[in-house]
Amino acid sequence: MKTYVGSGDRGRTSLLSGERVEKSHGRIAAVGDVDELNSLLGALIAALPEKQRELREELQGIQADLFHVGAWLATSPGSSTLEMLQEIGPGRTKALEAAIDRIEAALPPLRSFIHPGGHPTAAWAHIARAVCRRAERQVLRLAAGETAEQPSSVIAYLNRLSDYLFVLARFCNTLHGIPDEVWQK
Amino acid sequence: MTIPSSGNSLASPFTAELLRRSWLSEKTFELELSRPLSFHFRPGQRIRFLHNGLERDYSLLSRPDSPRLGLCVRHLPAGLFSSILAAAEIGTSFTFTGPHGYFVFQGSLRPAVFVATGTGVAPFLSMTRSGVTGFTMLHGVRKAAELYYRPDFCAAASLYVPCLSHASPESALPPGAYRGRVIEYLRDHLPSGAYDFYLCGRREMIRDVTLLVDERFPESLVYAEIFY
Repeated sequence: MKTYVGSGDRGRTSLLSGERVEKSHGRIAAVGDVDELNSLLGALIAALPEKQRELREELQGIQADLFHVGAWLATSPGSSTLEMLQEIGPGRTKALEAAIDRIEAALPPLRSFIHPGGHPTAAWAHIARAVCRRAERQVLRLAAGETAEQPSSVIAYLNRLSDYLFVLARFCNTLHGIPDEVWQK
Repeated sequence: MTIPSSGNSLASPFTAELLRRSWLSEKTFELELSRPLSFHFRPGQRIRFLHNGLERDYSLLSRPDSPRLGLCVRHLPAGLFSSILAAAEIGTSFTFTGPHGYFVFQGSLRPAVFVATGTGVAPFLSMTRSGVTGFTMLHGVRKAAELYYRPDFCAAASLYVPCLSHASPESALPPGAYRGRVIEYLRDHLPSGAYDFYLCGRREMIRDVTLLVDERFPESLVYAEIFY
């Protein structure tokens, strides 16, 4: 099976809702950011210690969510294609909050800025967090002027996901006995 | 506790029994499988067979309320799974997931243009059998014997144009047929305007038609399903 088609060779691509748009279109930029985020989660998963099976599955669940987010972003508001897509509703954001609370309970309190880095898994989580924020900003740009309900739940999900990735980065360092490196002004 | 997955009902496999196989031409056959009661789909969607590590997608050609699932399969001599389907005994059970894909009829004020090559007619047949009418349909094949389901499309389409890419200049064409490829017909005969294009078939056709739409019909929408 060949993966290439070639219909995008002149710089345009198709949305799930059928429109042909420039690849520089804001909707494609948002899809691209979410794709990049998903790929970074893949790098993080690949770097996790073998025994972190539950954490790996948790991250794979988030990767599945991001595919759904990408599909929503690739569809124009008002399109009947939306009826076929799986929503990322408030329940998924609540699940992230529960995971944040669980992870934070295992971490020392934080009162200062910390350097993004430490163990490679923590570094991947920090990069993913930063890209998640960029995806969120891109979705916000896209949502400006749109009244569809889904972008607001996607925005909430991405907002919480970046929080999750921050505590996860700290957790990854803790797992490897690496303390937070506090920023010295 | 970890975050539970968002879930994917598509991942739950179904089992269906092969009920009938009928050959439409030397290389192409139609299959009928039993439809599991809990399996639902929209016209134009496809299923994914899981068989000994193989995964193969096929568009359904039946109506969603039919008790049987219909498929149109081109038997490729080097094709592992099409060979299995071509030789499977009636009564054989197959496992599949689905429905997959977003290739469904959207309906709009723009005229719909269906473009299929070969067995790419399958999703359009499902749509037609489900009541979609009034579309323009181009069916690209090499020779007239491959114009499967022609009566169905003639009855439902406002214009049905078989496009025969390998018809010799001296050969007689079926009524209403065009001598050439679908891309040539679209380029030379489809009036300017905004359309909803639905493309299903070989990737070369999808590529060529999509690029033509960008060039000649830029206000149109394009929905595509690639048959590999």
